[in-house]
Amino acid sequence: MWDSIQSVFQPTTSPPQLYRNLAVALIGSFVLLALLHRFLGPRGRRWLIAFVTFVGGLYLGLEYFLPVRTAVLWPTAIPNPNPDRGANLLTPGIEPVGIMMSVIGAFTVGLGIYSLCQVHGRSLGQRRPGWHNSLAFFLAMVAMLVFGFWAHYLPKVDEASAVMPVPRAIYEMLFSGLFMPLQAATFSLLAFYIASAAYRAFRIRTAEAGLMMAAAFIVMIGQVPVGAWVTSGLPTTGALAFFRLEALGEWIMTWLNAPAQRGIVFGVAIGGLAMSLRIWLSLERGTFFSEQG
Amino acid sequence: MNPEIAILWGGAIATLGVYTILYRENPVSRLFEHIFVGLSAGYLIVFIWTQNLEGRWWKPMIHEGRWYWVFAPVVGLLFYFIYSRRLLWLARLVMGLFFGIAAGYFFRTFFPIYSPQIYACFKPLRADPQIGWSDVVLHNWLFVIILFTVLSYFFFSVSHEGRFGRTLGRSALLGRWFLMIAFGAMFGNTVMARISLFIGRVQFLLSDWIGSFIPWFAGRGV
Amino acid sequence: MAEPRAGFWQRLQQIPRYYVYLLMAAVVIWQILFPIPLPIAPSSATQGVYDAISAVPDDKLILISTDWDASTNAETGPQTEAIVHACLQNDKRFAIMNLHPPMGVKLANDIAEQVAEQYGAEYGVDWCNWGYKYGFANVLIAMAKNIPKTIGDDFYGTPVAELSMMQGVEDIESIGLVIEITGLATITETWIGLIQGVYGTPFASAYTAVMAPGYYPFLDSGQMQGMLVGAKGAAEMEALVTRPAKASVIMNVQSWAHVLIILLIVIGNLGFVLARGPRGQGAP
Repeated sequence: MWDSIQSVFQPTTSPPQLYRNLAVALIGSFVLLALLHRFLGPRGRRWLIAFVTFVGGLYLGLEYFLPVRTAVLWPTAIPNPNPDRGANLLTPGIEPVGIMMSVIGAFTVGLGIYSLCQVHGRSLGQRRPGWHNSLAFFLAMVAMLVFGFWAHYLPKVDEASAVMPVPRAIYEMLFSGLFMPLQAATFSLLAFYIASAAYRAFRIRTAEAGLMMAAAFIVMIGQVPVGAWVTSGLPTTGALAFFRLEALGEWIMTWLNAPAQRGIVFGVAIGGLAMSLRIWLSLERGTFFSEQG
Repeated sequence: MNPEIAILWGGAIATLGVYTILYRENPVSRLFEHIFVGLSAGYLIVFIWTQNLEGRWWKPMIHEGRWYWVFAPVVGLLFYFIYSRRLLWLARLVMGLFFGIAAGYFFRTFFPIYSPQIYACFKPLRADPQIGWSDVVLHNWLFVIILFTVLSYFFFSVSHEGRFGRTLGRSALLGRWFLMIAFGAMFGNTVMARISLFIGRVQFLLSDWIGSFIPWFAGRGV
Repeated sequence: MAEPRAGFWQRLQQIPRYYVYLLMAAVVIWQILFPIPLPIAPSSATQGVYDAISAVPDDKLILISTDWDASTNAETGPQTEAIVHACLQNDKRFAIMNLHPPMGVKLANDIAEQVAEQYGAEYGVDWCNWGYKYGFANVLIAMAKNIPKTIGDDFYGTPVAELSMMQGVEDIESIGLVIEITGLATITETWIGLIQGVYGTPFASAYTAVMAPGYYPFLDSGQMQGMLVGAKGAAEMEALVTRPAKASVIMNVQSWAHVLIILLIVIGNLGFVLARGPRGQGAP
């Protein structure tokens, strides 16, 4: 089956053939979309969306479950040395589908940028309070676009050359001198906020809060070198070694935290499976799903 | 052109500009916020093209004659109909495809991710005749008890009444305590992470920036 | 006499936030300028990452997925640096790639360039950068079957198939270890669900300290060979590769910042308990 599909999608051998195929494919796509839009009613559209959702999920699910990959279900068994040996009918499509979906997804990044441009363009056009910030937004975006592309397409220079071409130097300034420190500084503000929040809000009102605080203190002090230094007098082997703060901190993470986290992992797994089933079968209701038509 | 000095000064001014918000909301931090968002948007476009679309879409389509890649923008651009009321359903069509695929990924990754998690719960709980009641066995008991009590805490389908319900309730209470210990550990780690970020910035300000004109600082913090 | 005492305990709970900020900044600056060096001992989780790197067969690549950006640079940057040191010290060839956010690919590239220079490692021969590839699971599922086609061009715009170290690299069988360095949840599950769990490719990770606790179950189940926990893991790795650098300093400074936060919490609670008085009155 894949052979016949592949024969249709053979690469072209000459530019005219390529442009002809591109034009036909584009026009065909637009005609198809226009026909769908013209002739499908709300009910038909809902069914089409549900069908596409179902097929998308079915393909990826079915491709995995059809061949028996012993290494997954039974880890003690010897893994299949050649995973393609048991490939089913759907397996050859995995690679093109994966690449195609990631490329299609790449076209969506403009959504957020379009939205940002809309908001800031309006603010700038109407001279709203803070319009100069919107201007800064556009200038920064355009500067990064221009020098980003320029630096990328500059011919590669000799590594030994100490002088950096101007566009690349400006790009480096924008990246390492503004973009990177701005993001790092913004997120580092959290250190102040967590210190202030811990001081103001972390109160032992209940026994549970007390347990939480005790665990937090041991982990906080056990994870850092000063913890090891405080209890460095204790032996490194034997029963007392357990009370070395770094060991106690690690013990909490491994033997108290891990099983509790695994309980949460199981909850997430079941919840995720249920949610995926609902989405796959278009049973989910909400902002997006209830208005599919 | 050597951008080193500009990078150091730009980085320092940007960092200090952002930190002014610690005092109060002000125009300087606002300005830097917007610059950051602008740079971010520009960078994303550059990298989406140069690292993704050019090599994986444009070159195969135009240079290798793989004409069918033209369908990728046709489908991808359907997302943009989200801004049109009349054609919104076309955006929903392609979103549906992506939702379906995301669900498909969950189905196929469910066993590889979670089955080893289940197997790892089956730990030896009996003493080894050779080793006796070793550390490992005691820890395994602890692990299994915590796991089951935590799971029982999330078991909301049975009311905590009657004999079984009361037992479940007690187990859930214990589970809640263990969860609190885990959350405490998470809090401890969160503090560590957040402070690391600030230390990283101070390292830059003191060692790299101030160190560039007062050599004594240069050797500190690296 | 009771009134002023209660007032004092109340005030103990209401230290203005500016003082808290200043204290935090003062402790960090003090420790960076006048450090009190303390020893750092590698944990078993960190040792696991190092052992996994050294166990990679010579004919296979190490794939380092650098899914982080400047927001976590203080943790993930030193982690990346220490991991690259470990790869080069063990004569392992490695490739960098980035799924998200795109900033990570340049930051990691800068780090790898600097470290590679120290060892005389050559781009395209000993290491390479596959660049930022959008698409998460879609990229991984396709990459498992065909690496050159899925990746396309490298960071500099050269087709990866043209790099000398990529000759013979076809699919996931050519990868001997995947190391995920990230501050984002769920990428790990994608790697495990589509690569490690299906093809048995060894997997190790380096996380920000915030998300690390949630991944201890994966360490316990053996799905991960090892894990670096935030700057602590980076400092431990620096100790293992005998290149103490930024993370080691961060951990020393961190020690006293943690002490400060614990003191603040204790002071706040002391005020809380004592301000309530014998009958629990006066608490905010």
